[in-house]
Amino acid sequence: MLNNPSSYWNPILETLPQEKLQVLQLKKFKRLVGWAYNNSPFYRRFYQEAGLEPGDIKTFEDIRKVPKIEKGMMREVQQREPFPYGDMMTAPLEQVTAFRQTSGTTGIPVYQACTWQDWEWWAESWCYILHAQGYRDTDRVFIPFGYNIFVAFWAGHYAAEKLGCEVVPGGVLDTQSRILKMQELKCNAFMATPTYVLGMADTAVNKLGIDPVKDLNIQKITCAGEPGASIPTTKKRMEDAWGAKVYDHIGITEVGSWSYECTEQPGGQHVNEAFFLVEIEDIETGEIITEPGKEGKMIITALDRMAKPCIRFDSKDVIRWADHQCDCGRTFRLIDGGVVGRADDITKVKGVLLAPTAIEEVVRSIPELGDEYEVVVSKKGDIDNILLKIEILPGKETEQESILFRLKDQLRVKTNLGYKIEVHPYGSLQRYEVKAKRFKDLRKKGG
Amino acid sequence: MSDWKIDEMCELIKQMRQLTEDLKEKSGNIQAVERNSDRILANIKMLELNTTDVLDIFGGRS
Repeated sequence: MLNNPSSYWNPILETLPQEKLQVLQLKKFKRLVGWAYNNSPFYRRFYQEAGLEPGDIKTFEDIRKVPKIEKGMMREVQQREPFPYGDMMTAPLEQVTAFRQTSGTTGIPVYQACTWQDWEWWAESWCYILHAQGYRDTDRVFIPFGYNIFVAFWAGHYAAEKLGCEVVPGGVLDTQSRILKMQELKCNAFMATPTYVLGMADTAVNKLGIDPVKDLNIQKITCAGEPGASIPTTKKRMEDAWGAKVYDHIGITEVGSWSYECTEQPGGQHVNEAFFLVEIEDIETGEIITEPGKEGKMIITALDRMAKPCIRFDSKDVIRWADHQCDCGRTFRLIDGGVVGRADDITKVKGVLLAPTAIEEVVRSIPELGDEYEVVVSKKGDIDNILLKIEILPGKETEQESILFRLKDQLRVKTNLGYKIEVHPYGSLQRYEVKAKRFKDLRKKGG
Repeated sequence: MSDWKIDEMCELIKQMRQLTEDLKEKSGNIQAVERNSDRILANIKMLELNTTDVLDIFGGRS
């Protein structure tokens, strides 16, 4: 248990007892619904159609009466004025100071408007993350990110500045230039997707002859965008490759950065329950899950995001409450293992439920395999087939038979499925710089 | 553990908001004053999220 107030970004909120956190959440939720009802044409219409008025929310349980919103609705409202955000907005366009959008990997991108206050709020949320991960004013932080229309590490940049860190924007530099700049400036932290963390290490070793553990000064890495840093075998690969601590955090463009791992690395992530309300809903029954260990999809509310409120958003992310508390002393609850899947990614193959993260966990557990892999699910007649493409590390090719035996065995144990394995030459599978798309379901249109 | 004075902090934050709103109102549309006041107000909001919002709950006076 940490008991020094400086261990926390805000000890008032981060150590608030759970019952008081719930009182705070209800107070904020009521304020937000009232604000949205009175200022957003979409929310007023939506709640009136559901027969709900802000005054109907009196208890914590009443929150569940409030209808959920989905990504599809956010796309639809964009057809309305004001362009390009639609009538979910509560603030006039004159107050909007930044545009962001979702990546659009699941359809038309959702556009997000930030006022300066909302942007300060994004950075504030990230301050909780970075402070909990040990970032301080003595750190020189490199951000190898394309600084574009996606929110990604923008707020991480602003938050690191707010914490007093010295921030080095990696911007349009290519991977090799980024590594050399990190080396030259003796940067001790950086932020990237797990895919890129591994890709940078690979480039350092194989293109520059730089050993990240010995030749660079990186002590901590903050990941986002993919679940890898919460998958133990992938986290270990990253930590081994860089000789650094790797921490995860989860954010959603439409919502905000709602959870984070602290330096205790408790096998899960704290939900920032002072800024967000997270509910877990049983995928089949729709009942709210409060007990630990049971998976469901996350319904999330950003309690203080005002210009384009996000109230009871059906995120489709599958999570579960942890059954233990963290030694760091934060009272914010833990979710076990981060986001363990997506309700729309968990797919039935040969009648068995398959989560792509389970395949990653197995591939990354075999040290002779490269970091890249690809899964292709197809159907021939009535039969589903799973093809797993892998790379074997240089110098390990002679061990192929033993590697494949272990790989198939572990896949069968972890996923209850059989796979066709294709071994590709090292370096031939696609490399990604941001989010990887390694799971392809050809049975789905556009899959 | 706690040696912070949340009541006093919240009172000061309230005064800062009032002062900044007064400053903005008296700016006579001088953009350099108005826009910087808006930025200060956004930061004051962050102080409120971190302290004022929880004042009645923190002291068990909810």
